[in-house]
Order: sequence, then C-alpha cells, then structure tokens
Amino acid sequence: MSEPNAVAGPSKPKGAFGGIATIGIHSDTIDKSNPRGIPYAPFVTNVDDFVGGQDAGVEGIMGSFKEMTSKYQYMEVSLQTRRKGIESKIPDIAETLKVVKFLEARRCKSLGTQPTVVPKDSNESDEEQDDEDALSDEPESEDEDDLLAEANELEASDEQLESGKVPGQKALKTLYELNDTLFAEAEVEENGQVGLWLGANTMLMYPLGEAVLLLSEKLSTAKKNLNNIKEDLEFLREQVTVMEVNFARVHNVSLSGRRLQKEGDQGKKGEHVKSLKDQD
Amino acid sequence: MRQEDESEGIEVAWEDQQRISAFSKYNTRLSSIQDELKKLQEEKELYDDLEMELELADEKEPVPYQLASTFFHLTPPQALRQLSLERRTLQKDIRRLEKRRDECVDGMKGLKIELYAKFGNQINLETDPKDD
Repeated sequence: MSEPNAVAGPSKPKGAFGGIATIGIHSDTIDKSNPRGIPYAPFVTNVDDFVGGQDAGVEGIMGSFKEMTSKYQYMEVSLQTRRKGIESKIPDIAETLKVVKFLEARRCKSLGTQPTVVPKDSNESDEEQDDEDALSDEPESEDEDDLLAEANELEASDEQLESGKVPGQKALKTLYELNDTLFAEAEVEENGQVGLWLGANTMLMYPLGEAVLLLSEKLSTAKKNLNNIKEDLEFLREQVTVMEVNFARVHNVSLSGRRLQKEGDQGKKGEHVKSLKDQD
Repeated sequence: MRQEDESEGIEVAWEDQQRISAFSKYNTRLSSIQDELKKLQEEKELYDDLEMELELADEKEPVPYQLASTFFHLTPPQALRQLSLERRTLQKDIRRLEKRRDECVDGMKGLKIELYAKFGNQINLETDPKDD
C-alpha cells in the first residue's frame, strides 16, 4: 500500500469533514449545506487520490466515515420524532379551524355579513415556529369542550358580550365530548367569540374572524414546518447513502491494495485474488 | 454494491449518485402520496354516501353532525351545506396530491431513461407493478 503520509495535500482544511482532507472529493459536496444548514456528505470521486491525501490510514478514514454516518442517522431519528409531533398537531389545528369557521359562517349568515377571507400565503416565517409550539404543546383534545363551555360561561357572565348575540337566532344544540366515551348535551349561545386554548394554561377570547385568521396562520406554519422536516429527512437519507457508497469504495480500495500486496509477497494466487484481477 | 462500482467497470460519478438519490427520493415520496391519496379517496366515498343519506332525510328533523369531537344538531339542509364545504376542501387536497404524484412519476420517468442509458442492466429501477 502507498505511504499515506508521503502525499501531503496542499490544502487540508480541518474540521469540515471531521478532519478529512478534501482531495478526491467532489467539489459540489464540500462546505455545502441544505437550506436548514445540514451539511452535505462528502462524495468521494477519486478513491486513490482521496485515500492518498489523508493523514489517517484507511482505518482512520473508515472510522470517521462511520462517525459521520451515525451523526446523520442520529439527526434522522430526532427529526422523525419532531415529524410525528407536528403530524399529530396538524389535524388538531385543522379541526379547531373547521369548527370556528362553521360558527363564523353561521353567524355571518344570520347577520347578513361576509365571513373572513383567509389571505393566501400570508407571510409567515420560520421564526413563528416557537409560537406554533406554544399553541399546540398542550393536549388539544379538550379544545372543543373548553371552547363551547367557555362560550356559554362567558355569555352568562359578561354583559358587554351579551350584546354580541344575534337576536332571534335559534340556539345551537350540540353533543360535546365530556370524556372519551361520554357525550353531554350543551346549548351554545353564540356571541361572536371563541376561547382558544393557547397552551401554558392560557385561553384567550377571540372574535370569530380573528380566530379564523389566527388558526389558519398556525395551520399553514405547521404545514410548512412539516414540509421542511420531510425535506430534511429525504436529504439525510441521501447523505447516509452517499456515506455508504464512500465507505464501500474506500473499503474496496483497501481490500484490493492488501490483496495485491499479498500477491506480490507470496506469489500465490488465491481464488479471492482472481476475482480482482480484471481490475489491474 | 460493494463490488459492483469498481469491478464492473462503470464508475458512478457524482451526477449519477445524485440521479440515483433523486430517483429514490421520488420513489419514497410517491408511495407516501399514494397512501395519503387512498385515505382521502376513501373519505370522499364516505362523504358521498352521507350526502345521499342526508338528501333522503326529513328536512325538519335535526341530525347530529360531527365537527372535530363535537356533534352539532343541524337540519339536513344545514348539514348538506357544511358537507359540501368540507368536500370542497377534500377535493382540493386530492387534486394537490394528484399533481404531486404526477410530478414524481414524471421525474422518475426522466431519471430512468438517463440511468438506464448509462448503467444498462446493472441497475434495476423497477417498482412494484401495482404502483403504476
């Protein structure tokens, strides 16, 4: 085998790939990362140059390859957890939005007004993710009951909101989920407001229109985050594949190198050597 | 894979690796889209059945209509209105997914041509026939 130390590369930026020199690595994969800052796996184009350009021997290279691969895999696992979290939040938000929209449509109809139009692609940004988490971290299953119960309570207690009532509107009768398998009857006296559970033991009253906008925004943010996570997961899987290819290539070179050496030493042609002959 | 790259004589370049990755990405995406589509289509059938039922129901007799975890007592005409709203959303989702599915299929078609041109029978990109 060649002497790895003899070929000291002109540029050996440490750190980029855990101290691996970038000779023989495709330039598209050096110092590049995806939109969320996950680095590309280095793709070895020329195995001989690459192995020759390293301070560490083949064993060392394979070791750092393994390390990188497991870093990617670790990220994959943690993203999968986040993905599951968001995936379970989205239906909750969507369902709540559906109910609020229903209440609003009902109210608008009896008042003869127009329901809120949700602007398409309202300018949400990634920074809103934290709000998003705050909104949905708490279990949301109680949302509807709370929402309805709260609406009722408020109606009775707050005179000011009492005025929000539409005269002559037929009461809205519901069966709400008291427990998993138990439903109770409730009559909702609509006053144009709903209580939204924001998590952290907080519920805020919103006019229906504002609630629709808020929930729509949360929903689209959550969907966008989910898409980003899905993209990242696809990206990570690709990087793992690239690392496996790299690993296989370096492994092959080291095997053939070792076998050729053996062949030279002993002049013996074992079966396993024969299989590699066409390569020379 | 280990032996193939080197000993079969065709070098897998970075561009090829990217194509293979893209193909595998499309493939995974496609199967998850198809699962989701199937679910939505089943849901749509339920909606269709429900619509029929509601049209036959007594107009004055309220029915419990489920939104989220709560049942609202709605008259069949009210319920039908709500149903058509929900169905429109569902329809939109289905169309969006179908579009994404077609994008995947087209993308895979293009990559297949490129990859087979280079690797011939050394590469197998065929998916289950049921996926088509």
